[in-house]
Amino acid sequence: MSAKSGLYRKEKIYGFLFILPPLLGLLIFTLYPMIYSIYGSFTDWDGLGQMNVIGLSNFTDLLTDELFHKAVFNTLFMMLGIPIGITLALLLALGLNRGVPGTTAFRVIYYVPVISSLAAVSIMWNWAYNGDYGLVNQFLDLFGISGPNWMANKFTVKPALIIMAVWKGLGYTMLLYLAALQSVSRSYYEAAELDGANGFQSFRHITWPMVRPVTFFIIVTNIIGGSQIFTEMNIMTPTGGPEYASASVVFYIWQKAFGSFQMGYASAMAVVLGVFIFVVTLIQFRMNEKQSFDVD
Amino acid sequence: MLKKKGWFTLLSLVLMVSVILTGCGGNNNASSGSNSGGEATANAGKNDSKETKNLTFMFRGGTDEQKAYEGVVKKFEADHPNVKVKIVVTAADQYATKLKASITGNSVPDVFYFESGDLKAYVNSGVLLDLTSYVENNPNIDLNNIWKYGVDLYRYDGTMAGQGNLYGMPKDVGPFALGYNKTMFEAAGIPLPDKDKPYTWDEFIKVAQQLTTDKDGDGKLDQFGAGFNVQWALPSFVWSNGADWIDATKTKVTIDDPKFIEALQFFTDMQLKYGITPSTEQAQTLDTYQRWMKGEMAFFPVGPWDMSTYETLPFDYDLIPYPAGSTGKSATWTGSLGIGASAKTKHPDEAVELINYLTASKEGMEALVKAKVQIPNLIDMATEWAADTTTKPANKEEFLQVVNEYGRVLPGHYTYNAEWYNLFYTDIQPVLDGKVTPEEYVKSEQPKMQKLLDKAVEQEAKSKK
Repeated sequence: MSAKSGLYRKEKIYGFLFILPPLLGLLIFTLYPMIYSIYGSFTDWDGLGQMNVIGLSNFTDLLTDELFHKAVFNTLFMMLGIPIGITLALLLALGLNRGVPGTTAFRVIYYVPVISSLAAVSIMWNWAYNGDYGLVNQFLDLFGISGPNWMANKFTVKPALIIMAVWKGLGYTMLLYLAALQSVSRSYYEAAELDGANGFQSFRHITWPMVRPVTFFIIVTNIIGGSQIFTEMNIMTPTGGPEYASASVVFYIWQKAFGSFQMGYASAMAVVLGVFIFVVTLIQFRMNEKQSFDVD
Repeated sequence: MLKKKGWFTLLSLVLMVSVILTGCGGNNNASSGSNSGGEATANAGKNDSKETKNLTFMFRGGTDEQKAYEGVVKKFEADHPNVKVKIVVTAADQYATKLKASITGNSVPDVFYFESGDLKAYVNSGVLLDLTSYVENNPNIDLNNIWKYGVDLYRYDGTMAGQGNLYGMPKDVGPFALGYNKTMFEAAGIPLPDKDKPYTWDEFIKVAQQLTTDKDGDGKLDQFGAGFNVQWALPSFVWSNGADWIDATKTKVTIDDPKFIEALQFFTDMQLKYGITPSTEQAQTLDTYQRWMKGEMAFFPVGPWDMSTYETLPFDYDLIPYPAGSTGKSATWTGSLGIGASAKTKHPDEAVELINYLTASKEGMEALVKAKVQIPNLIDMATEWAADTTTKPANKEEFLQVVNEYGRVLPGHYTYNAEWYNLFYTDIQPVLDGKVTPEEYVKSEQPKMQKLLDKAVEQEAKSKK
């Protein structure tokens, strides 16, 4: 009896030791910086010298900061790519799931952008978007359309970034959907067919509800990722784009923190962004709970 | 038995974790160059001069530049057998972030590049070592033989930059001269521009218009007079017209000055009225640069860092002063990067020695100039270098004239941060497209920039404690 409990205790210690490294990593590299930046958001810290607590004034400044508002708008605008990406990915997955010849090849083709470095992808698309000799405008030229200078025009720069982001994320989303589709039992469709359901009805009442957990996962991760979009604009429009039209919140945080010695102010923005992501994710989880009720 | 073995495993696990943890900390030590870890070695070093002293040197640059600087550092190590230099190098666009992160993280490299515009912030928060005593009493350094413009950029007396103690040495000075395509002029039978007497704005437009043509007759212009990036070229036009972004006290934004408006108007007219530059649609920076490289552009700015690339141009080019506005004088900006030392370095003597080697020694300079990435810092060496007209560009003398006579720093350099100045370029596109007049623009932009400048001034006051 006592030997068993000794072993039990030892196992507990081992177990704890094994999770200790990642746990420490979490504490040191995630939790500590997080708390530090929350504290920093109440100070006038310039990132170098001392920190003086100045209360909420960083947050009240945000309310009247035009560039911050622009950055928030841009970030939200670029999330329009999420529903587009999800729809396209689902359509592709449905197609591939029917066993078209060359499925594996297609999977690889769509997955290549996912594993490519975002920096490399950005540089490549920057060429493609070049107003003069870019691939995109040369293609449009074939139809007699003279394309704009995508990255230098404030109306086209955001759509251009959205198109690129959708292209980059498509393979990942598609693969998730494909896996989900393949786990749906054939028997449901057979039963539906016997009841006289057409293709669209099967999709609406079987496929869509069955892949819902995946859709939920994709939406949540995409919104979190979309809120933190940064690398693309940093490489493609290093000054924030024409009239700041492509600056995201993270881009603005980065500029304030490392460009103009306003670490405290940048921290305040980071906190606002963090709260935003938390709240949006929470709402989604709530909605998911409610909806999962009427699935069956 | 089992129990014993168990504790052994436990012990090794604890050891493993502590190794991981010291691994994380070790990184810090390394990049701060024995800041925290080397206390003992530093003390020992005082007793025994043969003790190896470790320095960290952080810098940035393109491939050619990296190679050149790595070579010079190797030479330095050979000349100073007791000093080991660890090099940390990044691409230019990541450098500021990395440096500021390491400062925030309290692991400043012993020797590092910094922007002259960040001087005040770094001095006020005690990041930079005061080099004055090390440099001024050093028999090997003759400050009079180094560009005053460059050295003064790194002086700060606690109020104004440009005077007082020395906190850095110029890595180089980067005079942004104007180049022209000599071959194109000769082909068109246009007299070559005078290398000392600048064009007036009108003359410049006339010449540029003659050179803006459709050579293959397909209805599309394929040769342009000039291609100017607003951010880098506008200062030249504004200054030579007697205006500036900021007043002498560095507290007031002065872009609503009529002289300023006139210069901005001229700048936009080059495209909108005279059509001598590619339109905004065609004129991304890369694009005008490529047109110049292909020999499709008559005038284009040239910096010393371009020399190694322009070696292979398919045409002959040379340097002239920028066209002069109402002051009758040419103006342009001169960039510079400083090399400073950490105030907390354990080996200040060696750190300063390395800085001097890179910026003020004959050995170091010769190697860097040979790599064609910069002009010499040493005036006597530069004069000799410029006198050699057999290498391109022939009129290298122009670079020296810019540094000595009419080069300036960008306005953001004087203030605690350059946010107010950068905003000017963030919003400027509609002006270049002709949708907003220069006058309307400066009127609406001035208050916004002033607000940011006020904030920077306030921040600076706070940072002085």
